[in-house]
Amino acid sequence: MGNYTFQWRQALRALPDMLDGALVTMQIAILSMLIGITIAVFLAVARNSKSRWLRAPATAWVELARNTPALFQIYMAHFGLGSFGIYLSPYVALLAGIAFNNAGYLCETFRGSLRAIPDTQIRAGRSLGMSAPKAFRLIVMPQMFRIAFLPTMNQMVWAILMTSLGVTVGMSTDLTGVTQDLNARSFRTFEFFALAAVIYYLITKAVMLAARLLAWRLFRY
Amino acid sequence: MKFGYIAGTALAAAIAAPAAQADKLDDIVASGTLRCAVVLDFPPMGSRDADNNPIGFDVDYCNDLAAALGVEAEIVETPFPDRIPALVSGRVDVGVASTSDTLERAKTAGFTVPYFAFTNVVLTREDTGIDGYDSLATHTVGSVAGTYEGIALDDDITKWDQGGSFRPYQSQADVFLALSQGQIDATVVTSTVASSIVAGGKYEGLTIAGDAPYLPDYVGLIALRQEYGLLNYLDLFINQQVRTGRYQELYEEWVGGDAPDLTVDKVYR
Repeated sequence: MGNYTFQWRQALRALPDMLDGALVTMQIAILSMLIGITIAVFLAVARNSKSRWLRAPATAWVELARNTPALFQIYMAHFGLGSFGIYLSPYVALLAGIAFNNAGYLCETFRGSLRAIPDTQIRAGRSLGMSAPKAFRLIVMPQMFRIAFLPTMNQMVWAILMTSLGVTVGMSTDLTGVTQDLNARSFRTFEFFALAAVIYYLITKAVMLAARLLAWRLFRY
Repeated sequence: MKFGYIAGTALAAAIAAPAAQADKLDDIVASGTLRCAVVLDFPPMGSRDADNNPIGFDVDYCNDLAAALGVEAEIVETPFPDRIPALVSGRVDVGVASTSDTLERAKTAGFTVPYFAFTNVVLTREDTGIDGYDSLATHTVGSVAGTYEGIALDDDITKWDQGGSFRPYQSQADVFLALSQGQIDATVVTSTVASSIVAGGKYEGLTIAGDAPYLPDYVGLIALRQEYGLLNYLDLFINQQVRTGRYQELYEEWVGGDAPDLTVDKVYR
């Protein structure tokens, strides 16, 4: 970096704009997690089911989500669907891409967690007069979420970092989008990118810390 | 013996000292290679031919510059947002990359005098009903992030505030893809690029819908801000290109017609 003199004042002046971008980043990450978790629960149940018609599409989803790059998934949501006349805005395409990815990974997390819960738990519930779905909802799911909680939070961190891929589909309001725009206007690349990196780091650290505190509160016996 | 040691040290220092002062211009001449950052999805300034070789005005300009320096030219494909990182990291020596000489950027990069001037037009699809710059106010439009025309269009959409929106993309190719798919209704691009894309026929149904009322977009070569030796050389090179008629010749080859004036009336530089 011998050729470059850092000018931090200019970058720090843009900090409020970048923090606004960080809020959008968090919004997308949280929404994509809510959607991802909801879909993943259904996918996990479908993958454990005996019916091939339920298993096959769920398996296809998981295979695609876990074995193709997140960048590709987001790009396809915007430009891929666009070529079929389905137009998703950059925001929605980014959200859809990350939610798709989240659902695939979380499905496997949940499925592993489900396997860890003995069948006898359902039978115990049934013997108390619960219906099978009710036993699943009240007995199995709470235990499943307990096991899956920290891996799910890991996925949350991954979702926050994946939002940075939105620039490839024209996303301009999240942290990376704002940073790229500031960079292109002034060429102070390294200051802006360093600042963005610090913000991403602090956000993900804060999320993990919050997750640990929450786990300690929720799951102690 | 001691005298020999001192004399030897002094001689070594004398040989080493000028080398330590060599600037970028010396480095280029010594290395025998000029590495130019060129944007290759920005025809006719830079693109690739059927055999994937770099072609275009900027490519030829780099070749001319290398020939003047007496070295080999190396074209390094560089997307718009990566031009400064490419310079600073030492991956390239010069940016021949249609870089608009904004004052904001000049705080970071060293600009030469203009080597090209663009005017901008509205590029749209035939089915959008857009017939001029003002009718963009209610549409979703897009451009390459941070470019001269992108910043101007974004600012106008915000100023108009009539329901239109602006989307910045990372490359010119993505903008054309988004436009042809219908993700965006129009873009503002340099007239040279617009003519080239409409004539190219790769994207069907694109049409030019009038001029964008911006000031001419003067673009300079870029180098590291502190490399005065190199920047001086580049200024003189640009002057010589115009003086010898080579600028007009290249313009005719890649764009057609009379090359635009590179000077601004009533002011230096």
